[in-house]
Amino acid sequence: MATFYRREVHRGFKIWGITLAAPAIRALLFAGVFALVVGSSGKIVLGIPFLEFLIPGLIAVAILERAFESAAFSMVYDKTEGIFGDLATAPLTPGELVLAYAGASVTGGLIVGAVVWLALLPLGGQVPAEPLALVYFAVAGSLIVGLFSQIAGLWALKWDYLAGVQTFIFLPFVFLSGVFFSLDQLPEALQPWARANPIFYLVDGVRFGITGRADTDPLTGVIVTLVCIIALSAFNYRLFAIGYRFKS
Amino acid sequence: MTDLARGSAPTPPRGPTQAPGDKQFVLNGPPVARPIGVVNWRGLWTLYVREITRFYKVGTQTLAAPVVTTLLFFTIFSVALGGDAHTVGDLPFALFLAPGLIMMSILQNSFANTSSSILISKVQGNIVDVLMPPLSPAELTVAFVAGGVTRGILVGLATGIALWVFVGLRIHDPVALVFFGVAASAMLSLLGLIGGIWAAKFDHIAAMTNFVVVPLSFLSGTFYSIGRLPEAWQIVAHLNPFFYTIDGFRYAFIGRLDSELWLSVAVMIAINAALFTLVYRMFATGYKLKS
Repeated sequence: MATFYRREVHRGFKIWGITLAAPAIRALLFAGVFALVVGSSGKIVLGIPFLEFLIPGLIAVAILERAFESAAFSMVYDKTEGIFGDLATAPLTPGELVLAYAGASVTGGLIVGAVVWLALLPLGGQVPAEPLALVYFAVAGSLIVGLFSQIAGLWALKWDYLAGVQTFIFLPFVFLSGVFFSLDQLPEALQPWARANPIFYLVDGVRFGITGRADTDPLTGVIVTLVCIIALSAFNYRLFAIGYRFKS
Repeated sequence: MTDLARGSAPTPPRGPTQAPGDKQFVLNGPPVARPIGVVNWRGLWTLYVREITRFYKVGTQTLAAPVVTTLLFFTIFSVALGGDAHTVGDLPFALFLAPGLIMMSILQNSFANTSSSILISKVQGNIVDVLMPPLSPAELTVAFVAGGVTRGILVGLATGIALWVFVGLRIHDPVALVFFGVAASAMLSLLGLIGGIWAAKFDHIAAMTNFVVVPLSFLSGTFYSIGRLPEAWQIVAHLNPFFYTIDGFRYAFIGRLDSELWLSVAVMIAINAALFTLVYRMFATGYKLKS
């Protein structure tokens, strides 16, 4: 399992130039554009200047995107190379497979998160106010998204399927989860829907970890995330055990 | 080949190896090459149709996905900023933003179309099928660019309609709309051709998209008026061709520009001419295509 985990991490960082630079550039672009648009209007959200509100959200997006791509891209790449079936013959239990992929997602997510945090420091980022919370939610976030991406990776038969999942499911959930706006900025009717989005708790938790402010009580987030992690892990274990779409 | 059969003498009796219904390929004498003339219209059209079919077949990815991402962007900007009834000058921010978003998706999708087409052909090894037929470099360029422009226009239409549902978009100058829409997608199609020809792996295209196309389309006045930038940066913006596409396209909707209209038009024509020449040279010399 250690070997498998190392291979997964190595994959992500073989092309580290793109793996690390692209999320950093994207985050900087968003931060830059919002900074220019909001400008000196002194906009305050959740009691802090808008840019300070936004930056933890951007860091969270980078972490989650890296966690998603880590497992899903790896699986679909293996499928296109025709070697994904090797998983069925390798001496790895389903639990070890889930753990290895998830471990790589978390490692990748944390490294990218750190890099993006560094990149955004000059624009108004800050040293984390609640480091423990930050670490928890970053790890939990990478786990939840990583586990979800394992499902997507197992399900996808070709790159197109994965691109579809990314564009039509993952990206909307992430973008509409409070990364860019606080819940009270949403119309009343939509707020319950936002709370039903697990990613909202992740972003909220990361924001709490960095700035000490959040939309909801971080404890709710901890409970929600733990439930998600347990549920997804069990589900993924079943999928790997029955060899969903890779044992024929 | 069937043309030769159609105009020929009465069909000869079927040979033992031919089933009923086989087309009869009858040669009266040695094969004669089809005359082509100055422009190979048939070849051009065929390549163009192939390019269209290529992206149409994966329509969800190529046409529906841009609509989803554009709406997402629109939503986050509107919700994040909308509370203040944010305005640019006296214009509601949504009306300022929408044309920028439409143009951004046109730019990114035109680039993606040609660059992925060339690169996929190279990687799969069937680029030779594009280079072998009697198509001149100009015809090749025109066909690929036409494919990219078609995709750009379709994406623009789709995102435009999607945004019109949410924002009362009104068109101020239809001629400018068509000009800048076509010119922008042509420019990015040409850039995509250069990128696709130069790239050896998909990572190269991803790098170009992530580090060149996306930053330039974000920072060219899509989301903000250039006037907000400090003097020095305004000059830099004026050197960026993407700025003129967005400025002109937005003018077509709101009737207001950051720079001069004639300047934007001139820049677009000049850039497209320069890029076309470059791509023509690349096809003519077979740069990275023929060894």
